[in-house]
Amino acid sequence: MESITLLELNGRVKSTLQFEMPDAYWVQAEISSISPSGQGHCYLELVQKDASGRTFLAKAKANIWRGTWLKLKPYFEAETGETLKVGMKVLLQVTVTFHEVYGYSLVVQDIDPTYTMGDMARRRKEILELLAKDGVIGLNRELEIPVLPNRIAVISSATAAGWGDFRNQLSGNVYGFCFYVKLFPALMQGDDVERSVIQALDAVAARRDDFDIVVIIRGGGAVSELSCFDSYNLAYNIANFPLPVITGIGHERDDTVADVVAHTKVKTPTAAAEFIINRIFDTASVLEEQTRRMSDAVSGRMNAENMRMERLSQKLPSLFAVLRTRQEQVLEKLDIKMQNGVRNMLTVQNHKLEIMEKSLAAADPVIILKRGYSLTRVGGRVVRSASGLKKGDLLTTSFADGTVESEII
Amino acid sequence: MKYEEAMKRLEEIVSRIEENKMDIDQIGDSIKEARELIRFCKDKLYKTDEEIKKILESED
Repeated sequence: MESITLLELNGRVKSTLQFEMPDAYWVQAEISSISPSGQGHCYLELVQKDASGRTFLAKAKANIWRGTWLKLKPYFEAETGETLKVGMKVLLQVTVTFHEVYGYSLVVQDIDPTYTMGDMARRRKEILELLAKDGVIGLNRELEIPVLPNRIAVISSATAAGWGDFRNQLSGNVYGFCFYVKLFPALMQGDDVERSVIQALDAVAARRDDFDIVVIIRGGGAVSELSCFDSYNLAYNIANFPLPVITGIGHERDDTVADVVAHTKVKTPTAAAEFIINRIFDTASVLEEQTRRMSDAVSGRMNAENMRMERLSQKLPSLFAVLRTRQEQVLEKLDIKMQNGVRNMLTVQNHKLEIMEKSLAAADPVIILKRGYSLTRVGGRVVRSASGLKKGDLLTTSFADGTVESEII
Repeated sequence: MKYEEAMKRLEEIVSRIEENKMDIDQIGDSIKEARELIRFCKDKLYKTDEEIKKILESED
């Protein structure tokens, strides 16, 4: 029986592969593990799963040697904004090798970032479709940003440059608006972004009455790793959040799912601060406008009242003249009435006096004496009867033209 | 009072004066109220409220 050594066998496999498959192939696969080596190489494990995503249909090791990795890594990151990571779908150009000790493996020659971007876009689309189907996609956009959104909950990493930019932009606003900013720290990069940001959102929601608005920001870096914001769970939480959410997660490319469901999406933390300042500027303008309208309305009203008074006071002299004439007429009438009254009264009194005069005249003793009567007094008293007189009484007899004394004998 | 409520009230007063719906005796009081509302709004915009600061600085 003929036999060969393992090395010989592996050697034959190796040469057969080299002979049969000398070309490079473009292969679609998913990265199931990735580990850069100390020497600057990068070791990958590639898989193909079935439709359920649970069963492996194929698996292979792949190596990116240092020289290739130095070129491919920055190229891929610049194109996609992502680093190669587990779970990512990639299109790699590979050659097939076989090593007598290490066995079958692929050597990566090139990578096509558009395939990965296409896959990410497809995933984004799927998540968005699911959010739309669940009826949450527009919920946060339906909230109204309050007129004075100056109590701001910020979800960011405490060390992020973006957090500093945001605060500086607010505190340096030229209008002098005041802000209340509280940071709810969260991881903004890496695999824990989804869990960490949701946790921060929950913390804000627990004291939602203390805030007007939520801002999710992070500083941009060379690699933005946006795909962690293409998360159904994170988007669901943002969409359902009771306060308006502003995202400023620093990128120029397509919106992430988080951006799409947020109330407002801006590019940078600085732009997020600017957005809020502008909103308050609008509010302050409305106040200015109201203040101006108020003073216009009041002075307008005062002018109108003044003019009314002016008109009235101009009319007063003529009104007064009319009034005076009327009063004068009344007075004149009264005067005439009074004169008549006095005249009548005088006539009546005169008449009465005349009558009295006549009756008085009739009673005057002088007139009676003139008629031949005389008046006799004794001791100053008028004698009305002869019977009271006695011998020796002195009589004083008055006539119209004088008196005589006589004695009774 | 909230900023929105203050603005709404201010708007109401201004409109009533503009539309001549307020008699001259009321205007004095309304001007006073409007001034207070404007001051309130300006404070909210430009003055730091220590109370709010304290609330925000408190830990959860």
